[in-house]
Amino acid sequence: MFELLGAGLANLMQVKYLVPLALGTLAGIVGGALPGVTITMTIIVVLPFTFGLDPLQGLAAMTGVYVGGSAGGLVTAVLLGIPGTPSAIATTFDGHPMARNGEPGRAVWLGIWASVFGGMLGGVFLIGATGPLAAFALQFGPWEFFSLFVLALSMVAGLVESSVLKGLLSGALGLVVTILGSDPVMGRERLTLGVPFLEGGVPFLPVLIGVFAFAQIMSEVERAGGVERAAQGAQRALSLAASHVKVLWEIVSRPFLVLWASFIGVLIGVLPAIGGSAANMMAYDQAKKFSRRPEKFGTGIPEGVIASEAANNANVGGSLVTIMAFGIPGDAVTAVMLGALTIHGIQSGPLFILQNAQLAYGIFAAYLIAHLLMVVILAVGARWMLRVVTVPKAALFPAVLVLCTVGAYALNNTMANVYILLTFGLLGYAMVKTGFPLAPFILGVILGDQIEINLIRAIMTDADPWLFLTRPISGLLIAASVASVVFALWQHRRQQRRLAQRADGDADF
Amino acid sequence: MLGRDGWAGLAVLTASLVLFGLTLGLEGNPMVPIGPGFYPRIVLGVTAVLAAALVIADSLASKRRAPPRGASDYGLVASMFALFGLYAGALSFLGFRLSTLLYVAAANALLAPPRSARGWARVALVALLTTVVVYLAFERYLLVLLPRGRWTGF
Repeated sequence: MFELLGAGLANLMQVKYLVPLALGTLAGIVGGALPGVTITMTIIVVLPFTFGLDPLQGLAAMTGVYVGGSAGGLVTAVLLGIPGTPSAIATTFDGHPMARNGEPGRAVWLGIWASVFGGMLGGVFLIGATGPLAAFALQFGPWEFFSLFVLALSMVAGLVESSVLKGLLSGALGLVVTILGSDPVMGRERLTLGVPFLEGGVPFLPVLIGVFAFAQIMSEVERAGGVERAAQGAQRALSLAASHVKVLWEIVSRPFLVLWASFIGVLIGVLPAIGGSAANMMAYDQAKKFSRRPEKFGTGIPEGVIASEAANNANVGGSLVTIMAFGIPGDAVTAVMLGALTIHGIQSGPLFILQNAQLAYGIFAAYLIAHLLMVVILAVGARWMLRVVTVPKAALFPAVLVLCTVGAYALNNTMANVYILLTFGLLGYAMVKTGFPLAPFILGVILGDQIEINLIRAIMTDADPWLFLTRPISGLLIAASVASVVFALWQHRRQQRRLAQRADGDADF
Repeated sequence: MLGRDGWAGLAVLTASLVLFGLTLGLEGNPMVPIGPGFYPRIVLGVTAVLAAALVIADSLASKRRAPPRGASDYGLVASMFALFGLYAGALSFLGFRLSTLLYVAAANALLAPPRSARGWARVALVALLTTVVVYLAFERYLLVLLPRGRWTGF
């Protein structure tokens, strides 16, 4: 393992890999710093640029975007109080007050170094756990894979905040998309609805790009001006000078906090499609609960910044584990990475690390080096990062949509993908407006074919449907799926009851 | 009276029942005894049940929350979608370069209407720069063949 990692690190130090990695990290930091532009959108924009690159170059650039984006959001979160990405929301709680109290450099560098520590701990898990988990998954038959994918989908659907029913329905709609066009087992046409571009099925990348890019851009367009007004204070130059020794000491003197926040980040990263936004909030909440001075949280204390930033970068490591060991994207960003692998003809899943060891360890190396590049880029450019938020959205959004169009078109040089992009862009926006979560939908689109293939394989091997329950691992996974939905329903009911009680209490007074 | 969720559920229920009906006409295959309609029927059945549950849950909800009122500009969103639709349609006829130039300029002007000659010059410059940079990056450097126009020939 260490030999392969060493070779991966040496490989990545070559200019041809280092340049895309550095550019990806820079793009991630800039995208992460821009309020209203998430890491998902940044990676969607970067995706078409990777088509002409070799797989490791492309994936290095994407890993850079992921790592850079997770840290980029902290600059605007700290200095403007506007989280550049949802994964930096909790950073604003203490980072911004600390900056307002006259210590912007300390706040920014606490965040950056906490990101590095969290990211490196996530990296240890990524490198150490991917191989064993993939080896474990190699024991899986079609029954286990079917049950694993069902578990992933039910967990994502159940963990959405708004409504469990809508989460489940959203996941089911994602599965419906995969039954249109062609049968993945025999490749025969089915349910094309007379639409010519559906004949070959619906490729998931244009769907993913359309759903996420349009949902996000149109939601911003809808409340036009909000971001611009908030960013008006961004023109002023700030000194971000801070003693790195002091900042590093503030972090290493809280080893339990860093470890616990990173553990939460990794754990949430491993669970499909929950993402950094939940990781930073949960880590912040835990830091507050374990603190001897919880009342100080929100006033500008280092624990709040450290917990949030360590968790959101450790989350990246966790997300990469699920895609590399099981072929299940941990979130939308890894879903795009999965698409990039597919474009290069590489099958993700348990065999990925065995069949593509050089590429897998190259990704590990890219992940580690991206953290160092992130520090260098932010050391040089953090003070200029504030000017990034003044980029007019009116110029940015059309350019992003053009890149999305090119990304969809260039997948196989067909206009059908552009029409799919638009169709699912409309659907994505409609889903957001009607309160349907996007994550289960996308996971349904990604896993639909695999669920069908494994179901058919299992039944063709042995027609006994009870095998899904009687085979130990499969049965356990199905039980976990049911438990996750039941737990989500219970949690949702409890929350509704509390809200109702609070409303009654308010009414009494 | 149905709310937003109820109508959304009803739309999904209708669509899934229509598709379910279409799966009944799918022919089987001797190679795969289960047939191409087996899995779609399960998925559509589950979708229909969930959609029906959403309709019922919505109609049973006693306290309906009022939709949040905000300064949402849906007209602008609709215009942006329409403009993108025109762009997607124009790509085949005008080609990437011309349609992208027009689209970026139009979308930019729609999102932030220029109020002076300088503003219009900025819009034109952004459109030109976006088109040229994307074209050069993809066609020349990444060797992606971007759409050619049937009418323009480029």
